[in-house]
Amino acid sequence: MSTEPALMTLTAVAKAIADKQLSSHEVTRACLHRIAQWQPHLNAFMAVEAEEALEAADAADAALAKGQISGPLHGVPLAHKDMYYEAGKVVTCGSLIRRDYVATTTSTALQRLKDAGTIRLGSLQMAEFAYGPTGHNSHYGPVHNPFVLDRVTGGSSSGSGSAVGARLTFAALGSDTGGSIRNPANFCGVTGLKTTCGLVSRAGAMPLSQSLDTVGPLARTAEDCALLLGLMAGADPEDPTTIGGPVPDYMAATRASLNGLRIGVPTAFYVDDLDAEVARILDETIALLKREGADIVKVELPDQRQLSSACQLVLAVEAAAFHKRWLIERPQDYGPQVLMRLQNGLAVPGVSYLEALRWRGAALAAHVAATAGVDALIAPVAPVPAPTIAESDVGNAPNAESVIQRLTRFTRPVNYLGLPALAIPCGFTAGGVPVGMQLIGRSFDESTLLTIGAAFQRATDFHDRVPALP
Amino acid sequence: MSKPDAKQIKAMADVAGMPVSAEVAERIANSIGPAFEGFAPIAGTLPFDLEPATFQFAQTTKASR
Repeated sequence: MSTEPALMTLTAVAKAIADKQLSSHEVTRACLHRIAQWQPHLNAFMAVEAEEALEAADAADAALAKGQISGPLHGVPLAHKDMYYEAGKVVTCGSLIRRDYVATTTSTALQRLKDAGTIRLGSLQMAEFAYGPTGHNSHYGPVHNPFVLDRVTGGSSSGSGSAVGARLTFAALGSDTGGSIRNPANFCGVTGLKTTCGLVSRAGAMPLSQSLDTVGPLARTAEDCALLLGLMAGADPEDPTTIGGPVPDYMAATRASLNGLRIGVPTAFYVDDLDAEVARILDETIALLKREGADIVKVELPDQRQLSSACQLVLAVEAAAFHKRWLIERPQDYGPQVLMRLQNGLAVPGVSYLEALRWRGAALAAHVAATAGVDALIAPVAPVPAPTIAESDVGNAPNAESVIQRLTRFTRPVNYLGLPALAIPCGFTAGGVPVGMQLIGRSFDESTLLTIGAAFQRATDFHDRVPALP
Repeated sequence: MSKPDAKQIKAMADVAGMPVSAEVAERIANSIGPAFEGFAPIAGTLPFDLEPATFQFAQTTKASR
């Protein structure tokens, strides 16, 4: 484990600050130094708030000197996807339309992290209105993959993936409606947790699809995701869709063994038409999990294409409905890709939309029955490694649409079923592009995913690899 | 379930108050069409009493090995 402050894990740096081995000022300055080095190459930040961050760090250090500690993340600097409202701060949502929008409330997820002691480094780039899987943004430019700069980061949490991968922030909030946490985690070599629908409050987070939106972290390790989830999860009166009850001890889950756990490998869909290097890394990951004590079994799943299609119908309509006023009044202010995606919702009749929603419970019940014999599934996040920014640029590359379609093929079914999924780094291509896998769990059983992810990371070092500054 | 064609989409967009050109309607038809095709085996087959809230029920149903 590195002792250079910016290269430490969230868990380690939080402990180092609490133990007064490092000051918040030192840690914040180390992050700002890396941001200054990397931002011209990555375009990962929407805004850097260096002066305010250092002032907050000094205040955190002064409080700690008096024995006052805010919480488990006292004095830890973080930055988040620029769609989490913070009162008094501009939140662009990656858009021109909200370029100058100042939030009047603070999102619950962000507030809970602030209450735990975090301080703000700035805000992170994202796909416009979180509606794009690559990392392109026609208003603010594409975000670059820290491991191979001409490759996409994945989206829509593009800045979150890039900044965590480059060690500019210890972790970042993302959001996942069709794969927007798992795709950037996969392509940027970091760990990303798509949470169960209803586990983490969405109050004060920019909406895209009320049925599918989920809030979750991108971080360097499963343990870091566990720490953040434990702070954010649980009922919120501001979001009546959240589920009550005690929050599990996710950190304890990361210390558990794989022995006795059964991991299912789908017999179809997720293993079809894989790029050769993705297939190799999937096989190697499965073999390692087996060596570490997991039982590996084949699982036949219901038709995943139907789930993916239902997800697209629901998302198209709900996104178009949220944006209707701006689609009428300000269509020229959308980027062309996002405008096209939003217009898709106009083509779905109300009856078709409701059919897609009505089927959701039955589809989940069928999935639960099919996976009753396993604790989790393993599958690639995407069938291919990160494509180049150029080849996935709609309007400038001839096959960009088909390239993009492949990126969300393996993620959308999970969103439709509302399940949790943990994306973990599992290898690199010969060209140095990170490749990850997703562990798909049972509803509200993030603990098992974190157990598997942490055990895998104890046995591997893919999550520890740091990209070299160009 | 049949997927809407460009002409139908143009009419639907007009009704929604967001008119689109014939060219845009054609593009939308090509883009969203595969989702209709993928969902076609389910469309029109759901039982009468099935409502969206069954999703929350299914979420909390425990599976046993």
